[in-house]
This record gives sequence, C-alpha cells and structure tokens, in this order.
Amino acid sequence: MHSGQLKRKLADLGIEGNNPKLTESFCLIGTPLPPLEKSKDTGEFVPLWKQEVRDEQGRRRLHGAFTGGFSAGYFNTVGSKEGWAPSTFVSSRSDRASKKQARPEDFMDEEDLEAARDDRKLVDTHEEMDLLGGTQAELGTRGGDVENDSIASALESMIPSAKDSAGSLLLRKMGWKPGQGIGPRITYKQLILQDQQSSSRPFEPPTDVDEDDPANKHLYAPRDTKVLLFQRKDNSFGLGYNPGLNLQQSVDGRTTSVSDNGPNISAGFGLGALNDADDDDVDVYDGGSRGGGRRLAFDEEEKDQDDHIVMGRPGQASQQETLNRRPASSSTFSDGRPLLPGFVLSDKPVSEDTWFPVPEIPKDWTPDPRRVWSQDVKQEGKENVPAKPSFVHPSRRGAFAVTLTADERGAALGEARLPAAPKSVFDYLAPKDRERLQNLATTTSLTTVEVPDDSQVPDEALIPHTDPAVARAALSGFQPFTSNPDKQARYTSYLQSQASPGETALLPLRGQNREEFTHELREFAKSALIFKPSSGALGGRFATASIQDLGSKPKEGLYTPSVDGPREDSSVSETPKEPEEEPKRRAARLGMFGALTRETKPWAPAKLLCKRFGVKGPEVEAPPLMASGVAAEPEWKPDLSAGPPIGALGAGPSEETVAAATASFRSGPTAKKDISNIGLGDDDDQGRDVLEYTRPERDIFKAIFASDDESSEDEAETAPAATAEAAPTPSDLPESVPNNVPASIVPAHPSAAPSSAPLYEPSTSSTLGNTPVDISTFRPTFVSRSDRTKDAPSRKEQKEKDKKESKKKGKGKAILSFETDDLQIVPTRSDSPDKERRKKKRKKEKRDDGKVSEDVPMEDDDMWVEKPPPATVNTTDEPVVPCFPDADLEQDKPTKDPHRGRKRAVDFL
Amino acid sequence: MPPSPVPPRTLHQTLAGHVGPTHVVRYAKGAGKYVMSGGQDRTVRLWKPQTGSQIQVYKGHGYEVYGLSVAHDNAKFASSGGDRSVFIWDVKTGQTIRRIPGHASKINTVEFNYDASVVASGSYDATVRLWDLRATSRQAIQVLEEARDAIQTIYVGPTQIISGSVDGHVRTYDLRMGELRADCLGPPVTSVLPTKDSQTILACTLDSTVRLMDMETGKLLNSFTSHKTESYRCRACFDAEERNVLCGDEEGRIWAWDLVDGKPLGPGTTGPPKVHEKVVLWIEHHVSDNELVSASADGTVKVWRGDSDR
Repeated sequence: MHSGQLKRKLADLGIEGNNPKLTESFCLIGTPLPPLEKSKDTGEFVPLWKQEVRDEQGRRRLHGAFTGGFSAGYFNTVGSKEGWAPSTFVSSRSDRASKKQARPEDFMDEEDLEAARDDRKLVDTHEEMDLLGGTQAELGTRGGDVENDSIASALESMIPSAKDSAGSLLLRKMGWKPGQGIGPRITYKQLILQDQQSSSRPFEPPTDVDEDDPANKHLYAPRDTKVLLFQRKDNSFGLGYNPGLNLQQSVDGRTTSVSDNGPNISAGFGLGALNDADDDDVDVYDGGSRGGGRRLAFDEEEKDQDDHIVMGRPGQASQQETLNRRPASSSTFSDGRPLLPGFVLSDKPVSEDTWFPVPEIPKDWTPDPRRVWSQDVKQEGKENVPAKPSFVHPSRRGAFAVTLTADERGAALGEARLPAAPKSVFDYLAPKDRERLQNLATTTSLTTVEVPDDSQVPDEALIPHTDPAVARAALSGFQPFTSNPDKQARYTSYLQSQASPGETALLPLRGQNREEFTHELREFAKSALIFKPSSGALGGRFATASIQDLGSKPKEGLYTPSVDGPREDSSVSETPKEPEEEPKRRAARLGMFGALTRETKPWAPAKLLCKRFGVKGPEVEAPPLMASGVAAEPEWKPDLSAGPPIGALGAGPSEETVAAATASFRSGPTAKKDISNIGLGDDDDQGRDVLEYTRPERDIFKAIFASDDESSEDEAETAPAATAEAAPTPSDLPESVPNNVPASIVPAHPSAAPSSAPLYEPSTSSTLGNTPVDISTFRPTFVSRSDRTKDAPSRKEQKEKDKKESKKKGKGKAILSFETDDLQIVPTRSDSPDKERRKKKRKKEKRDDGKVSEDVPMEDDDMWVEKPPPATVNTTDEPVVPCFPDADLEQDKPTKDPHRGRKRAVDFL
Repeated sequence: MPPSPVPPRTLHQTLAGHVGPTHVVRYAKGAGKYVMSGGQDRTVRLWKPQTGSQIQVYKGHGYEVYGLSVAHDNAKFASSGGDRSVFIWDVKTGQTIRRIPGHASKINTVEFNYDASVVASGSYDATVRLWDLRATSRQAIQVLEEARDAIQTIYVGPTQIISGSVDGHVRTYDLRMGELRADCLGPPVTSVLPTKDSQTILACTLDSTVRLMDMETGKLLNSFTSHKTESYRCRACFDAEERNVLCGDEEGRIWAWDLVDGKPLGPGTTGPPKVHEKVVLWIEHHVSDNELVSASADGTVKVWRGDSDR
C-alpha cells in the first residue's frame, strides 16, 4: 500500500517507476520496502472487481459468466479441457491373475490422498501405549511375518491402536501396572481362591497352603480380569470337535462323573459340568452301547435302561442291572461284547424323568383292544379317525417307533418263550400290565396318526366321521350328487347324521353290501369336506363380531346355488345384494312412465349445430327457468297439442304454428295488465319502462352523427325529446287509445312480405278490448301519416333524430344477426316513429334483460324464420344412380297426405 | 277410422348377397326406390327392391357395417361400423368422400340431418358425436356424452336428436328448447323412431317389448309384446300410415301390431310365421307404399309387399 502511494507520488513528480535509482536500497535497519516495479504488497487495496477468490491450493474455483463460466467444470472438477472422458474398455481376460482388487485409493485424487494421509497422521502422532504387551515398535521388528499372515493383520486392524488412555495414566499413577488386576491387594489365600474361581476346574480346597509359607507374608495384586478369548473356527470339523485329541483325551477333559458311567455323551454345546446328560446328548454315533442303532420308544434296550425307573421298583432294577452286568471286571456289556477301551459301564441311568404312577385298574377289566376300538367308533365317532382295524398291521408300524419285540410277537402267537431271550422289564410285569401298556402305546400312536387301511374290512360298516360344523356347512353348500337324487338324499342324511349325531341312523341300502356302503359313506365324508363353503374352514378361526347386522345377513363364502337341496333357506342369501335401484329404473320397471322416469335438464346445443339445423338456438342464459324441470316446462313450452304439429315431414314449423305458439306465449304472465287506461294519465305504468331507459351519452351521438349545424338544435331539444318520444303527446292520445282498434293494423312493418314468416306478429285474433294484451306488443301511439304532418317542428326534429337513430340501428344490426331483412335498414319515414319506439323498446329490453325478460320472452324469436326444408326430400324423383341402366326414371307417385292416417298422442289419452 | 292396413306379408324379393349377417337396411330418400344394406361382410350394397337386383357394392370398410344413413338428395350416404369412423360415400362413384374418425369404439348407428349438413353417429363408447359436413373441421360440432352406455340408435329430427342407449334411456336433445329430456325405459333401447308428428316415439327395448311413449310427458301410451327381442338389436317401425307397428324378432318373425289397441296382427293366432332363418336385425317400412324391407342375420334382405300390390 505504501509502495503504491509512493509510486503514485513519484509518478506525479514525473519520475519513472523503473528508474534504477529508485530501487537502490538505503535501509540499514528493518525491512526495506519492496521494489517498486514488482511490488507484491499483499495488503494493497484491490478494487472489488479485481479481487479473486482462491482456495487453499491457490486455485480459482469461482468462475463467473464473464470470466469463463463455462469452464467451471473443467477448472473445478474435471481437470482437463476436453472434459471427462470415460476410460476405454480394456479386456482383462488375458491377465485375470494380475488383476488387482480395487482399493479406495484408486478413486482418490491427490487431494483426497493427502487428506487421508493427514488423517492417518493424526492417529500416528499420538503416543503409543500397548496394553497387550507389544508396542508398535515391537510389532515393527517382527513385521515380516505379520505382513504374511493376512488374518493376523486383519485382527491387528481390529485392535484399537495402542495409546495411553487417561484412565490407564491415572491407574499408573496410583500404582497399577500392566498385567495386574484392579483393586486392593489381597492375601495369598485370596489369590489362590481367585485363581480357582476363575478357572473352570472344580473347587479344591487349598489345603496345601502353609501358614508359614513366606508367600503368606505378602499381599498380592489381584489377578487381572480375563479377557474373553474366542477361538476362531477355521476348520471344517463339527462344532465342539477337537481334532487334536484322541477319544481318551477328550473324555478326560470332561467331568469324570459323566464320563465314568453311561453311554458316551456327545460333545457339544450346552454340556457343562453341571448339566445332566440328557437323552439327547447321548452320542448317537457311539454304536457300542446301543443294540440296534435305532432308538425306539419301547426297545428292549430302552426297557433295560429306563423302564425300571418307570415301574418305580429300584430294587428290581438294580437286580436286573446286576444281572445284566457281567461280574468279570465289568469289561463286557450285558450281551457279552467287550467294552471299548476307555469306556466304563454306567452305574446309574443316564436320565431320570418324572414318571407318574399308573391309575388303578378295575378288577374285572380284561384287555381286549378290539372291543375298545369298535366301541370307540360306534359310540363317539368323534375322533378324527377313520375306520381302524383292531390291531395295526405290523408292517406299517415300524416307522412310528412302535414295534413288537420278538417276545411279544411270540406271546401273541402263543409261542413258548425262548429261554435264551434276554430278559426285559416286561418279563417282570404282570401280563395284565404288560398288555395295558401295550394298548396304551398303540392307542396313543394311533389317535394321532391316521393310517388309512383298506386291506382290512371291518366287521361292521364304519361310518366315517365328519365334523358337525363341516357337515352343517356342507349341507347348505354345494350339493354334489344332484344328478342322482337318491344318492343325494343319502348324502344329505349322512350329513344330517353327522351334523347332529345320534338322531338318525344310517343304514345301508338294500342290496348294497357293507363294503359298498362304507365306501359310499367315505365318499360322502370326502365330498362334504370338499364342498363345504371354504370360509367354513376359516370361519372357525375368527371370532364373530359382537355387533350383528339387523338386516338380512348374506351368507359367507362363495355363492354356491343349491339346486334341489333340502334346505331352501339359503335362498335368502342366494341373491347377492343388488345395488340400490335407481328410482326411475324402478318406476320404469313398474311401468310408471312419465314424470318419474323423465329427467329434464338444460342442454346447450352448439351454435354451429343450431345453424346447421336451421334452428334458432335457445337462450342459454335462461337456465333458471329451464332447470326447474318438469314443473316449469309447461309454461315455456308452446302448447303443441292444441295447435297443429310442428315440423311434420321434416318441414320447419309452419307459419301458423309459430303464430299460435307466439300467441300462447304472449298470453303469458304479463297478461294481467289493466289496459283500459294504458297511455292515459292515470296509467301507473305509463312511461315507466321508458324512464328507466338511460340514453347513451349525447356526445356519442354527436360525435358520430351530428353535423355542425345540428349541434345547437340538439342542445335545446334532446332532453325533452327523450320523454316526449315515448310518452304520448296529448294530441296523440285520442287515436292511440281507442279500445276497439283492431290489432291487425298495428304491424310495424307493413311492407314486410307476407310470404316470409312474420317478423312480428301480435295476437292476431284478439282485440285490445276484450283480450289481455302484452305490454310489449302494445303500441299506445299509433299516428297516421297525415296526423304526423301536423306538428311540423317537432316532427322535423323527430325525423332527423329518426334518421340518426335508424343509422345507429343499422350499425348495431350487425350484432343482432337474425334481423336480416333489409326493410329495417332504410326505414320509411311514414312508419318511423312507430318503429323507432318499438326498436327502442326492444333495445331497452335487451339492456335490462334480467328484469324485464320475464315479461317479454325473447321477442327476437319472432324475427327468426325457420329455414324451409330442402326441396328434394319429398318430391324428388331423380334417379339415385343415373349411371345404372336399370335405374328407371318413373315418376314418383304423389306422396300421400301425411296427415291422413296419423294418430296423435291425444288419441290415446 | 278405416281398419288398419294389412301389414306387408308377401315376399316380393329376396336380396341375397351379403355374406354373414346383414345388420342394417335403409330405404333411399324420396320415393324410396332403392335400399341400401350393410352387413358383417364389410360391404354396403345398393339394391333395387323392385327387381331384386344388386346395383352397387361399396367396399371400403375394414370392419362390419352397423349403421347406414342416406342423405336427403340420395347423392351420398353415411355408413359406420367397427372401424370407428363414419364413412361418407358418394353414391354414384362408390368412393368415400370423407372418413371421419373420432369415436373411441365401434359406431352402432349413424344418421344424417335433414339436409345432410350434419351427421350424427352413436357409438359403443357411449357418445353421440355430431359432425359438420360443410366445414372440413376434424372436430365434432358437439359430443353428447350423457349416455352411460353404448348408443344403439339415433334419430335426427328437424329440431331434435333422439338417442337410445343400452343404459335404458331415450334421450331427446331439443335444439330449440335447449333441453335434454332423458326418459328411462329400463332395459336397453335398441331403436327409437318418432311418429311424423313428433308427438310420440316408438322404442324397442330388449325386454321383448316395443313401447310407444308420449314425447311430451314421457308417459307410456302403448306397449307391444309377445315377440322376442332380448339380446339383439332390432328395429321397430311404423307403417306408412302410422297405424301399425312392426318389429322383427329373434326367431326370424316379423310382428305387426295395431297401434291403438296393441294387438298382434297377421296370419294365425300363434304369431306371424318365421320368415327369416335367423334373428331379424333391422326392418324398415317404405315411406309411402305398403312395402317393408327386413335384414336378418341369415344374410338376406327381404322385401315384403302388401297384398294390394300383388
């Protein structure tokens, strides 16, 4: 900054900046000013527009639109002017082996790498402290093998990098050393105790500790808390298998109480010193102690080992055991096989389960399982067991751990017991008990397992059981045997018998043997299961809602029509609830056509459509009247039934139709006026409509129409003219209000062609005197031509005004597109006042449409003429396809009178 | 009132040419010297019923033809069908003048207005579209979307458009009143035809009933039953004097009733004889003569004449 100022000063003095004299330094103390030509004074003022923002690396990162904004991507992110180019595909097929795994560093740029390095440095700069006894430096010395062992290095990375925590620092200050436990020092005895507790070894009272042992004289630091060490499972052996040990060693490693006696206990999880060896823990692969390799519930072996406990006769059991055991050094099993080396025979059974004493058996009870079975089936029939033979085929039973021993088999066959047969507990049981046990085992297994057995035909027909709920559901459900009514009836009776057991008895048909009957019943049971409504099965799983519908409850489930089922009550739910029938449809169904089935609403036809149809479109602005629907309709509808029909044979409405229609129109709501004093002084309504009319600004007229000389006249005249025009002058009155003036003379356009539809046709048949007259159609001032000439001055003005007005009308006519007759464009002077008034009135009506339109319902309708129908429809007889030779050109017969045989709606009423 | 005329029962000609069902047959306008028929075989055929000769075959439709309408001057006709476009044909050249797409589904019926400046088409997509034939605009003048189901029939009168829909409504669009009158009949409506005085309307519905309704009030004036129309479109019409009501039948019969007392006319007490092999899909009475054409699913168009002409 200073150099800048100095430079400026020197420049003011006219001294060149690069004068070598200026750069000469005379400084002896302190820092000299930087040389002038390359002053890098960082504190120098730089205007805002010259300043540049740079990041830590000194790169420009902000590029405005004027400083190469487009290159922002290049400068900031991409790094090359060409932009980012995707790396071309290089096949690594040939050198798969050398393919490296991508590291995060591969995706880092130099900045990221630097940052990562910095992060690492943050860790490394701290002091090392290794709780595990090896510092980093130490590791470094044996780094070679650490590097080699990938797993070790991975584990190494998991260990938090060693550093002295604040806690360890504190502990050190308090005298703790690495490797010691935390806590007050303890005596030697306590230390030994602690050692024993921490070890898994059983407690041995430290009897060997001598009182005089010098070790007792010291206090010891407690043992350090053991770090839980997990062995990594890096082999493919089974869990718990120790590959290094042989069998003896592994057994010795266990508690002697287990390994001493009983079968081999499989080494595995959950077997601690205090665990009883369960049945499940018996080593199944240890074949020596087991007989057959199968473990069956009622094995002989089982009996040998377990049942003596069951019976609660230990004395006998022990006797049995002693019998079985060879006295000779217990080195052989009961069957004479020698014990495997390292095994000892168990004194005690492996497991002691809680068994309960069997219930008392009645004296007169004799085991007859067959009877029991038939009884069961006959009486209850509830258990979900199909026909059961009294005893189960042995071949089927093997799978279910129920086997007869050879002894039992022999006993069942009445054989003499083999003398050499190994004794079992059963031998010591009373035959009754044995049989009972046998039965117990059989029934329990059979009730749970359904064994379909067709090989045995039972003595009586067994009725297959169907759940009552299922049977009821199936009763109301699909009836599968409709083609065979007899069978269907039998099916139904079967279901009924199952639904309410005990009521009906099922008897086989005559001529139907038992087998067939059973077969049929089985079929019934099956079909009942199949054809019951599916929700019946699910229904049992859900609680019924407590709030019940009061209406008719539809049946759940699929709709299954019952064709000729005995229960027709399902017909209530048979018809699914139909959606609410519309009232009009219902009325139509009942034949009540008319107002109920009719729906009227306004509809706006497109303008173009009306034009194409040659129809004057409706006033869409009047929906409130239309929308009131049926009730409002008659008011607005021309009374067609009274007059001749409209539009017969495609022709537009005839003239008299329109006339009649309009006549009925006019006799509408406005007909109640007292017309006797219209135009008179006491006419309340006199001039009301007119006075409400606000004339346009006079200046508008002037600006458009008035010539210069007229302006003064208008100034004086216009104000009274507005009222005098509509309100009849006294001189007009006598002629304007004669009650007997026929309305036929009123027409405003005498020159209107009679052939065309009347532009305006007042009620032709009515006179003013006796018929109510619409105010809109009534002309209070009818002035003949001769009369009009009397009051010349005002007439003259009037005429001029008329001219103006008519001009204006002519202009405005473009808007009223339907006023198409040229008669109105050049009004004759004779009828001008009348016309003027009428037009004005109409204009007014248009203005305040909302108020008056009810009184004057669309006077414009009168102006509209329906298009005559195209001439060709009825009378043409041109050949349709003149190019065809056989298209004869015979003249058409005159069409018959369409009205001749026609009937109208009234004919039917 | 003279006794009602005997319905035309004498077979005058059989116009066989269509392959497959004939869906529609229409008289030409004017004296009605020609009939046009459209059928499943995607053709429209022009016949001369007097001689029974086929004059022209109009091929161009890609699908079956459901609707036909002849213009007032017999110079062109409109046809519609499965190809979702209204075809305007030149009768003489047999070429389509215009093909008007716009409907979303097949077009069941098509009808000219009185001077053929507008053609109305009623489609399965439940709309009636009104097309301007004077301008070349591709847009419909107006779309009548009130129907809730397929339009089966249209009648275009001088000031009103009447549509009958499967939703069971007869809708009368009154152009002059700016009003839509929807009369619910219940079952699907397959044909509507007003009398010449536009006071009453004849509606054929799929509950085997032909109803004569009062147009002004919507009341039922008379109903004609004992035939069978339950699933096929059939048309009911008046005779030339509007004293009889005629309707086809799914059993191939052509029924006739007296308009006033509603009793079936014709030979026999058990109903008219079966005259078509299959369901009668369209009948139309001649505008003035005692002549009737009927189109049937058996592929024929039959021309019937009264005994007086024999």
